[in-house]
Amino acid sequence: MKDFIKVTLGIIIAFFLYTILNKISPSLIQLFNVFSLVVIYFAIEKNEIFGACLGAFCGLIQDSFSLGVFGVAGLAKTVTGFTAGYISKKVDVFPLLRSFVFIFVLISLEFILWAILYSFIFSGSINTGRGLVFFQPLGTALVGSLLIFLLRKIKGNNP
Amino acid sequence: MPLFLKERKSLLVLTALIFFQLILISIQVPLGYEESYFKKTVFSIFSPVQHGIISFFRSVGSVWRNYFYLQNVQSQNQKMKEEMFFLRQENNLLRNALENLKSEKDIEESLLRIHKNILAAQVIGFDVSNFYKSAIINKGSLDGIKKNMVILDKNGNLVGRIIDPVTLKESRVQLITDNESGVGVFSEKKKVMGILSGDGKGHCFLKYIHVTTEDISEGEEIITSGKDGFFHSGIKVGKIVTITKSTSLFKQVEVEPYFDIRHLDQVAVIMRDPKEIF
Repeated sequence: MKDFIKVTLGIIIAFFLYTILNKISPSLIQLFNVFSLVVIYFAIEKNEIFGACLGAFCGLIQDSFSLGVFGVAGLAKTVTGFTAGYISKKVDVFPLLRSFVFIFVLISLEFILWAILYSFIFSGSINTGRGLVFFQPLGTALVGSLLIFLLRKIKGNNP
Repeated sequence: MPLFLKERKSLLVLTALIFFQLILISIQVPLGYEESYFKKTVFSIFSPVQHGIISFFRSVGSVWRNYFYLQNVQSQNQKMKEEMFFLRQENNLLRNALENLKSEKDIEESLLRIHKNILAAQVIGFDVSNFYKSAIINKGSLDGIKKNMVILDKNGNLVGRIIDPVTLKESRVQLITDNESGVGVFSEKKKVMGILSGDGKGHCFLKYIHVTTEDISEGEEIITSGKDGFFHSGIKVGKIVTITKSTSLFKQVEVEPYFDIRHLDQVAVIMRDPKEIF
């Protein structure tokens, strides 16, 4: 029950950030992948199965707010969630620099997978937003690693 | 549970999820651009959340503006903004229609009809994967929104049309910059007809202009023709920026749309069919 509330809250926060970023400037949603952050965070906290399921769920939500084929982001996020959960069980990804590299690699992987699927299904190139989308791994990793660092600090202070 | 079984269980879940989504993707291929019920359902569940967030921020902003910051000036300004918004829409729609109208009575009747058929809406979100493809507005079937209704920006320039899903209080707009969109248009001066389609990257292209056609030039305005049955005639769309000849049968005519996605906040929904309005 506690996990369910936590995940629901995480998704609502992601939705909140997505809406706000959208409102500030539509191009900002290309710079920060907020739904992937939620997936990666809970995959690290729980395990790879949880990460994969949450990845599928968040990806399908993202797909429902997008014009096109339902399941493309879902598939990419499922793989991201699983990989995040699997690796974090083998390697300690919580130190700030390590979490930055970890998220950077995962978001890059997700982006490549999504771009391949998108190009394959739509037979066209993706909108790079004047190259802004290539900074998505960097932007998301920066915010994500700081967020994980802060959340760990808060958790450490309130055991 | 032993480790190898645990790992196998994880892989089984991953395989099942991937398989499920691959099936989901493949069943949409025969549907074409029609949205699946599953996607519509997920959208219907989560779009009110987005609507709620925007409404919350708008309410907070409204409290601040109305009670703490020049209450009277704010209300006057708001009223004038609303009036200007409707006047711009009316002006744009009437400009073309007036050419065909004869008596003053006809004009007055038409004015009244147009005013009744404009609904102001707010953009509450853009496409997550590509913001040049679609947007979400805060009006839905409860407000009378139906599929294929035309959307204009605050200056009366064409933005797109309503597509599925239309929920009770939200609906999706296909932007003219989407590569799957198609609008019947003509050039302002020599009335060269063509089909305008987006490239999914913020630009539009005027299609099927034969390579021998010399009647169009750079800088010319592009206007809807109304021949497609979806869009009303005479709506400003954009301006030709480049014309390039290629080895194919048709010229490549790039059109820069007038609407600016960065300032797409308030939009107007034309509530009637093109045939009904005038």
